[in-house]
Amino acid sequence: MPRLHQEKMVTVITTDILEDHLTALLRKNGVSGYTIISARGAGASGEQSGMLSVDANIKLQVVIPEPRLEKLLDCLDALLQKGYHLTVFVADVAVMRPEKYESHLL
Amino acid sequence: MSALSSLLTPAMLFFALGFFARVIKSDLRLPQDMAKMLSIYLLVAIGLHGGYELGRADLNLALHAVFWALAMGFALPLIGYALLVATGKVDRLNAAAIAAHYGSVSAGTFLTAIAYLDNIGIGYSSYPVIMLAIMESPAIIVGLMLATWSRQKLADSDFNGGTIAQSDNGYPGQTGSMLREALTNGSVILLLGSMFIGAVSSQASMEKLSPFVNEIFMGVLCLFLFEMGMEAGRRIKSFSKVGPVLVAFGLIMPLIGGAIGMAIAHLFLQLDVGGVTLVAVLGASASYIAVPPAMRLAIPESNPSFYLTLALGITFPFNVVVGIPLYYSIAQALAG
Repeated sequence: MPRLHQEKMVTVITTDILEDHLTALLRKNGVSGYTIISARGAGASGEQSGMLSVDANIKLQVVIPEPRLEKLLDCLDALLQKGYHLTVFVADVAVMRPEKYESHLL
Repeated sequence: MSALSSLLTPAMLFFALGFFARVIKSDLRLPQDMAKMLSIYLLVAIGLHGGYELGRADLNLALHAVFWALAMGFALPLIGYALLVATGKVDRLNAAAIAAHYGSVSAGTFLTAIAYLDNIGIGYSSYPVIMLAIMESPAIIVGLMLATWSRQKLADSDFNGGTIAQSDNGYPGQTGSMLREALTNGSVILLLGSMFIGAVSSQASMEKLSPFVNEIFMGVLCLFLFEMGMEAGRRIKSFSKVGPVLVAFGLIMPLIGGAIGMAIAHLFLQLDVGGVTLVAVLGASASYIAVPPAMRLAIPESNPSFYLTLALGITFPFNVVVGIPLYYSIAQALAG
């Protein structure tokens, strides 16, 4: 399939309180776009039912070219070091139109 | 009026129903943003109502009320923190986060107290409403300072300060951004803004709003308390995790705060019986809407299930069932 190109997809699941901070961090790291969805679930911080503002989670997904991945992960690691609860995983994804992920979000 | 019959108001019964529905594991689920919508309505309604009355009240006494609200907001978290650290069962950062909740206020408890007073036909002055608005923020600031201080203490005692040395600009819990957060907090803006609008509105325009502000108020409060009952019920399974010492704190701290609130309202503000009851509730209640997100941001090291279980699972039901009637009877004795 010659139309597909390899990129990295970073998924972050965390409290929605961190949303503004995370999106600022993404802009700083030159991503071309991101998607956030409201999430529910349970983990180290207990059940996150989404019923109270403190109980709401987000799932943030961003596709990023591999050269920019390292710096983004460093920033996320700094948050983890400070004690914030984040679930972070990186997956290999195949995308169409790779140039879409090269531009920076304004 | 017996204490029992005062509990059998629709608002309290809906709280019990929500709690019960959760305890028997009913499949009942309310829409996700319902609690947020209901609390927005309640804050706007109480703000408009209180603001309208305050606009026509004694400014000097209102300023006194603001001063004492600030004093309580700053003092209560310090007392809570000292108590928690003294137990030796809670680390300093969790103590700071929990203490901040007890210095702030729960609008839900306050409104339940208003429903209680309405039900037994007791009037109340509007000054406690402005205290409700003022007391949201100071405790967040104190919690923040206690956390900074605790981190320094921990760093001093722990030579491995590697995580603290790492600096990057603009992390979310920074003091400057947290101060802004505490003062621009959504519920503070809503409440103060609605009070301002109420204060400058004419009697005729407020009468037009009366169906919104007054007539549906108790019904919305019933729904809100139903939802809060479910949230409280959802927390009881965390009791064992929290441990007996913290559970005891969740029962004792409201009594301390309530006593301080009552003393201030009676001695310094000379409020009526309803007013003394409401200020006692302000001192006794623990925030579960405004403070938890702030602490989650500012003190990520602390465990949210500690402070949420305490504020929502223990102190809120305690105040609703035992506290409010108790503060009212003492306020009555003080006045009489």
